[in-house]
Amino acid sequence: MRSNTVGWLMLAPTIAILGIFGIAPFLYVLYVAFHQWNPFGASPLMIYNGADNFRRLVFDPEFLRSVAVTAKFAFFAVVSEIALGYLLAQLFMREFPGRGFFRTIHTLPLIVAPIVVGSVWRLMTTPSIGIIPYLLKQWFDYDMNIGRDAGTAFALTVIMDIWHWTPLVTLTLLAALLALPKEPFEQAQIDGANRWQIFWHVTLPMIRPAILATVFIRLMDALRTVDEVWMLTSGGPGDATRYVGLHIWKIVFPKTDYGYGAAISVIVLYLTLVMCWILYVSLVARRERKRVA
Amino acid sequence: MIKKSGIGLAALTLALMTTALPARADFWSDAGAKYKGVVLHGVTESTPPSNYIKDVLAPEFEKKTGIKVEIETTSWDQMYDKAIKDMEAKTGIYDMIYIEQDIIYAYLARNFLVDITKSLKDDPSLKSPDYDESHYTTFANYFKNADGDIFGTPMEAFIKVYLYRTDLFNDPKIQEAFKKETGKDLKPAVTHEDYTEIAEFFTKYGKDNGLDLWGTTAQAHTGHPASWYEFFESIAPTFGVFNWGVDASKNYAASVENGGTMNSAESKAAMKYWLHLRDIAPPESAASTWTEVGTTFAAGRVAQGLVYGENAAWIASDAEKSKVVGNVGVALPPTEAKVLEDVKAGKGYLGYYDGGAFGLPVTSKNKEASLLFLQFIGQDSVQPDWAVAAPRITNTATYDDPKIVDMDKKLNGYYSMLKNDGKLFAGAPPYPFHAQVREATAPIFYKILLGEIPSDEGLDQMAAAAEAELKNLGYRK
Repeated sequence: MRSNTVGWLMLAPTIAILGIFGIAPFLYVLYVAFHQWNPFGASPLMIYNGADNFRRLVFDPEFLRSVAVTAKFAFFAVVSEIALGYLLAQLFMREFPGRGFFRTIHTLPLIVAPIVVGSVWRLMTTPSIGIIPYLLKQWFDYDMNIGRDAGTAFALTVIMDIWHWTPLVTLTLLAALLALPKEPFEQAQIDGANRWQIFWHVTLPMIRPAILATVFIRLMDALRTVDEVWMLTSGGPGDATRYVGLHIWKIVFPKTDYGYGAAISVIVLYLTLVMCWILYVSLVARRERKRVA
Repeated sequence: MIKKSGIGLAALTLALMTTALPARADFWSDAGAKYKGVVLHGVTESTPPSNYIKDVLAPEFEKKTGIKVEIETTSWDQMYDKAIKDMEAKTGIYDMIYIEQDIIYAYLARNFLVDITKSLKDDPSLKSPDYDESHYTTFANYFKNADGDIFGTPMEAFIKVYLYRTDLFNDPKIQEAFKKETGKDLKPAVTHEDYTEIAEFFTKYGKDNGLDLWGTTAQAHTGHPASWYEFFESIAPTFGVFNWGVDASKNYAASVENGGTMNSAESKAAMKYWLHLRDIAPPESAASTWTEVGTTFAAGRVAQGLVYGENAAWIASDAEKSKVVGNVGVALPPTEAKVLEDVKAGKGYLGYYDGGAFGLPVTSKNKEASLLFLQFIGQDSVQPDWAVAAPRITNTATYDDPKIVDMDKKLNGYYSMLKNDGKLFAGAPPYPFHAQVREATAPIFYKILLGEIPSDEGLDQMAAAAEAELKNLGYRK
């Protein structure tokens, strides 16, 4: 009984912080989501409108388009980051001159603020000014214009995200790889397994928790990306890169449609949870059940 | 003896007076003494006038009063984001905020701002003898309520002007080529037809001669509100479409059907004119906002263009940033002939008079000290150097200062134009739903820019979207 009290007392600060900064704002957003509220409208009052905001978003083509393009962005960005991050982690496992230096250099993008990343990439990709369009023109006679070409703008946002966040994946997987015991690998080699078999049957199962954790983190980040993309394309051309985070920002901030923006935020949170749950069930729970059986 | 006593008495009286009265070094040190040690926080957009406040006026004020002023200069959207969130949440982080001319009506509608005139009347001890609201130019009217009380100290004020390259326009070889091509003399455009002809000529001239030169700028970003503003604030008015085509007197009608002009024949002609210019502008135009347009001009990549006046000074005078120093001419934007007549007769406007003020949020925790700072930056004495450092004039006396007269020559008459023709320009209409209507129509606007919707059809859709949004907001019945 006494130990319970001490335990609760120890937990109290964390619970209070979670309550104030996590749960309370979420409950407030949920409350706003069931209201029509535009403080800059003729009537700034908050009016309860049931599930109208949720009904509205189901038929809102702008929202649906933003979800679709975000899913596409998250897929390409996260898959590329995991693959590239793993390869780099493997590379940094090996001994080569200057390994420590390259490991450090490689993590530099992580410490750059997203808004700066967006600004720098914008500078590098602005037609007539940026180095990238210049080189593409010189080498391939290709006129890159992110103000006009939706495909290029989308690809650039993915590349920018990969550049910024792959080091995080590398660091996580490097830590996971370094922590692996040597025995299973030696055993596999003795058994005559080739590189691919070792990767598939030994390495991958052992680092799967680290990969999954990284996927979850990167997926959640990718689904709510705003600042980098805002700086690079502002959501354009047209709505080609109007990702859902940016869409919510535009609904809530310039349009000041707080009720609808809150409803979209809640749904996006729900979709993110569902996506993570599906991933968890398909990649972890099923295997765990199989293992137990 | 009597004389001696008299002198002694006078000396005694003087000594008594100087000891009995508080020392009055000047108003600022006296008024500031009470707030010594207070730190004021301000947030503003990173622009030349704001940077001057941060780098020059704030330290000067601190030296005189002991009140520290920390100014945060950030991007346009961040500035809004932070200020509005702070005022809504009533956190009171900021004591001063930048109020752009077009957001003031929304702020006033929500009672976000302190009435500066009233506050100074209520507490005369805070009123500086060197501060007088009547010294402001008429631009200050945008920051007043119906009673004439001011809610912000004007700090930026500029018009969007027509800049052209004098070195190109005065080049005999180019003049001859232009004459041969068009049968006309090469001179700054007065009408849209002139402007288009000149733009087409220079774009072709650049291409034929292998130059990095185009005929016009275009602020035509396909995902950023800057392009929306260029059309509705700079292009449409020159065709006679004012206030974004929304008529408040006709139940906020936007469509022609209901009495608005957003999709009028004039608006549609304006869009076609602008899209054509965009197509013969430098390739970066499709990704250009207000800043990039200035940069494009400064890099010598265009022969002419519509550029915000806040950039005019550095383009014309700062050789470190601009390749066209000494070669920049200033003129009024080209218009339809009838529109210019109407505007001169006081019906409408031909371009955008932009700018902003520094206001005091009602949520500020240091209102009195902030009122001192707002007066400090509003005095006549600090204006000339500020206007030289950043091209803005907010006080009438500034125009006649020798430094400004000299600068005006370097800028080929930009300040004179501001003084004499400023009345032909106008700020945003007094609508509290500014950002909402823009955001409701912008996605369609971007589709027009990308060619996904024909421009006429797009404008029809925009007018309908604007009316729907206004209805949704409760303004349109």
